Parts: sequence; structure tokens; C-alpha cells
Amino acid sequence: MQKNGTIALTFHVLVLAFVLAPLVIICLVAFTPENTLSLPTTGLSLRWFKAVFAHPDFMASFWNSIWLAALSATLAVAFAVPAGLAISRYSFPGRDFLNALFLSPLIIPHLVLGVAFLRLFALLGATGSFAWLVATHIIIVTPYVLRLVLAALSGLDRSAEQAARTLGAGEWTAFRRVTAPMILPGITGGWLLAFINSFDELTMSIFVTSPATVTLPVRMYMYATESIDPMMAAVSALMIAITAAAMLVLDRAFGLDRILVGQR
Amino acid sequence: MAFLTLEGVSKEFGTFTAVRDVSLTIDKGEFVSLLGPSGCGKTTTLQMIAGLVEPTEGRISLDGRDITREKPNRRGLGVVFQSYALFPHMTVAQNVAFGLEMRRVPQAERDERVRDALMLVQLSAFAGRYPRQLSGGQRQRVAIARALVIAPPVLLLDEPLSNLDAKLREEMQFELRRIQRKVGTTTIMVTHDQAEALSISDRVVVMEGGRMTQVDAPYRLYEQPSNAFISSFVGKTNLLAGTWRRNGTSSAADIGGVLLEASAPEIAAGTPVTLSIRPEKILVRDAGAGRLEGRVASRFFLGSQWLFTVETPIGTMTVSTPNLGVEPATEGSQVGLDWSPDNMRIIAGTAAAA
Repeated sequence: MQKNGTIALTFHVLVLAFVLAPLVIICLVAFTPENTLSLPTTGLSLRWFKAVFAHPDFMASFWNSIWLAALSATLAVAFAVPAGLAISRYSFPGRDFLNALFLSPLIIPHLVLGVAFLRLFALLGATGSFAWLVATHIIIVTPYVLRLVLAALSGLDRSAEQAARTLGAGEWTAFRRVTAPMILPGITGGWLLAFINSFDELTMSIFVTSPATVTLPVRMYMYATESIDPMMAAVSALMIAITAAAMLVLDRAFGLDRILVGQR
Repeated sequence: MAFLTLEGVSKEFGTFTAVRDVSLTIDKGEFVSLLGPSGCGKTTTLQMIAGLVEPTEGRISLDGRDITREKPNRRGLGVVFQSYALFPHMTVAQNVAFGLEMRRVPQAERDERVRDALMLVQLSAFAGRYPRQLSGGQRQRVAIARALVIAPPVLLLDEPLSNLDAKLREEMQFELRRIQRKVGTTTIMVTHDQAEALSISDRVVVMEGGRMTQVDAPYRLYEQPSNAFISSFVGKTNLLAGTWRRNGTSSAADIGGVLLEASAPEIAAGTPVTLSIRPEKILVRDAGAGRLEGRVASRFFLGSQWLFTVETPIGTMTVSTPNLGVEPATEGSQVGLDWSPDNMRIIAGTAAAA
């Protein structure tokens, strides 16, 4: 096993510390018994977590965000898998354009998207509905699913699917029984990234949510503009925990390096 | 009786013609190899038979039925892919059962047939394993079992042995032939390995640049190659370019001023010819005792035989002699090379490359 030099080791430690320190601190702050954002020194308390669960607006926003993320990630998968198959397997006019179009939400600032959707919805008279919110989230999370699906398909040996065909499977059966299970790590990884991105999305959502559809990040933002108390830390800790748990499940099931780096 | 027939089959990819006007008739129970260098169209031909590639022109029929445009899942042929193409998320037994499942074979019969197929390829103990837990040779046998379990009229093998190491490859050649003899399935194998094609096929189809250039039994292909390419591709040979000379009843090839006696009545004097003589047909004699003088440039011991390169006035010749238990001529020594003129194959025209 190769060992890191002193400089490399220091660098790695600094990077890790820089990435993890804020998360660790916010999680610690969440357990404070005090009334201000401070590190718990006198003891640990769950009072701010209780406050979160007792706060109807936060709970409503939390479930709202969960549903939104799950729905938009699932629909993005339903959309990106066929799109990925078409892009990776067939050559047709406009193929590169379609590929670029589906990936473009990654490079357009969410602020711009938010303003644009706000205008569009105003013109359509469609403001405020949950369905439209889902639609906007599908657009911003599809690139993540598509990238992972495309990566999975490019590393796929197509002869397995051909073998299924020669053994008597129709095209759909061959996809369902052979191709889909083989690209499942890519699909699941894409779904998870989509879920997390939708769950965390703030900038665009500020513009497209209505009072009835406020998502958790938007709720936190609104709350934080008025007052800052340790309940924010508790919500943050909960969000970190949900994301970490999802990552952990995925790593156990498929291996994170395989999904995110594309190793097979 | 013709079982599988290809009539004037061609395949074009854009402007590139991968397969050109291939016509072939295969009998029931026959083992036929498609042999050629990479890019000669042999795999495309196999894929057209399998239904994975649609021919641009021509007709393919199986047992009197036109299958040219039929979908691969309706043809019912067994295909073994070069990469084996096992389903990684299914166990060995599930892989083998897949074709039966698609045919809605009842569970009890399915289990029995899977068991028989695994027994045939000697993998009964591995039914519950996943492909990744198997060695290359075992995976290959799973692929064969999976293709054979559906009792296909024709078994198609795409370079089935190319991913195996040399020793295993040799074992699997005979294993493949044993299985094919036992089951009696008509088999078509694509290979670029001439030794593989010669050792297990009833007939060999040589393909070059998308065309079929010779169809023959392995022995005849080896002894009577129809062109210079085949003579050097199938086995080793010495190719000598020269001009045909006639003098009354005798005829000879003039190779750079040296006359080599040979008989080929149909060739006119002055025609450029290529002579082909196999290394094992040449005898090493004492200096002055052969048709050609030479000096041993190098000598390799291969166990069962010796391989010499001999420098002669007409170029370097490769000679192999059986190991008879005594040490033969050493490097640097003068020798005479001799052969029977009957063993020299005369091909009209010049060889492009040896």
C-alpha cells in the first residue's frame, strides 16, 4: 500500500477538516440547551429537536420537501432512462442537441431559472400549485440522473441484452430482465443524487413556491431572515442525517464509488 | 440435405461493405467454422444468421423457412458470445434457465433440463454461483449450456475460445467438439485461429475482406489452399515468388535464377507464379544431397519438433522436422533441403504478402 507524504497528508487533513468542520459544529450546536446559537458547554439537550417536530410549519415543509424530492427524482428517472437509451444507442439528427439540452440546467444559474419560471407561471396563471413545483424540480434534477444513466450504459456490454434476445426475450423483456438490472446502480445513484439536489434546492424554489408549497430550505431561509436560534441548527442536523443515511444505504447496497465514480 | 442456407447475403454499413455476396449451405449436424483475420466479415455473417444484424441483401433460410427478416427471439438459435454475455445478476442456474423461462417451460421440466445442461458441461456443482465467482473456462461452459438448453436447431459460436489461455483453449476445443458430437447440433463457429478451425470443424469457410474465398474440409484447405493468402494464413508456409518456365515436357519455377522443378500443366510459360511449401514438407539433408543448399541461421527446439530458419540463395526458408531423439544440424552448418515436388503448391499470380 502506497503511503502519503507529509505534505500530501497535511493537505488531505486540511481538506477534510474544511469540509467536515462546519457540519460537525452545526450538529453539535443542535444539541445546545441554550437559547442562542452556541456550542453546548453545560450539557446536551434535545429541546430544539422537539421544537422542530412541534413546529407545524416546519413539519409541513419537511414532508412537502420529502414528497417533492421523491416525486421529482422518480419522474426524472422515468424520463432520463429512455432518454439515456436513445442518446447512447441511436444516432439521429439532433442527438447532440438533445443531450446538451437535457444537461443544460446544470449550467444555468438557478436564480435565472427561478425568475424565468416565475414569469412563465404568471403568464400561464399556474402559480402556486405543487404539480408545477414538481415540474421545475424535474428539470433541475434530470441532468444528474441522465449523466449517471449515460455512464452506466456506456460501460455496458450490449451482448448480454443480445443474448437475452436470442434466448427468446422480446425487446421489452430483455430490457426489464437484463439491461435494467445491469444499469440499476446508475439508476439508483441518479435517483439519490436527484433526491438530494431537489431536497436541498433553495435558490430557484424561493421563486416558484407558494405559501402552500413552501419547501424546507425555503422555510429555513424565511425563518432565518427573521430570527436565528438553535432550532435552525436542529433542522440542519436533521437534513444532514437524512442525506447521510441515504448515502449509507446506497453504499451498502451498491457501493458509492461504483455509482459516483462509475467503476464497475 | 441443406439445413441452413445463405444465398447472396451482403451487409453494408453506410459505404462500407462488411460482407459481400456470401452463399453457403450447411447440412444438419455439421460443424462449420468461419475463419479469417479480424475485419473479414465473419462475425457480421454470424450476427446475420443470429438475427442481430439485418442483411442488406440476400436470403437466409433455416430448414426451408425464410428467416432473413425474423427477429432474433423468434429464430430460436443458440448463440455463444465472445464475451460470454452471461447475466451478471443471475446465478448459473438462472442464466441457463432463462431461455426456458422465455419459452414458458413448466418449472419441473425447466429444472430437469437445466440440470442436464449443467451436467453436459460438467458444472453441476456450480448451479448456485454467480458468473463473477467463476473462472473464464467455467463461464464459457455456462454460456454453452445456456445456448444448448433450449435445444436450438443451430448453435452459433462467436470466437468462443479467444478469451481463454492457451492450455485451456486446447482443452475446450476438444470439449466443444465432444459436446457437439453428443448433442448433434448443427454448429457454426467464428474464429481467427486457424488451428482451432482446423482441429474441430467438418468444414472451414475462409473469409477475406467480406468475401468467402474457400470452403473445404480442414485437411484439403491445408493441403490445397486456393490462394497465397490462405496458404500463409492457414498454417505456416514458405512463399516463393517467381516465373513459370517450360522446356518440352518438363516445367519449373524460376525463383531468382534458381529453377525448382514442379508440374502444373495448365500454367503458360512466362506467367508469374507463387510457390508454397509447408515447413514440415521440407527434409533437412547433408550439404549437397538436396534440391537447395542452405545454411542454418537459427534453430529452435519446440519439444515435439525442431524449427529451423535456413538461408538459401532464394531467400530464408522455414523448416520444421520431428524430434527423432537425436540432435539435428546445428546453427551455422551447411545443409541441403529436399522435398517432393508433389508437396509444392503452385499458385498463379504473385503473393501480396507472405
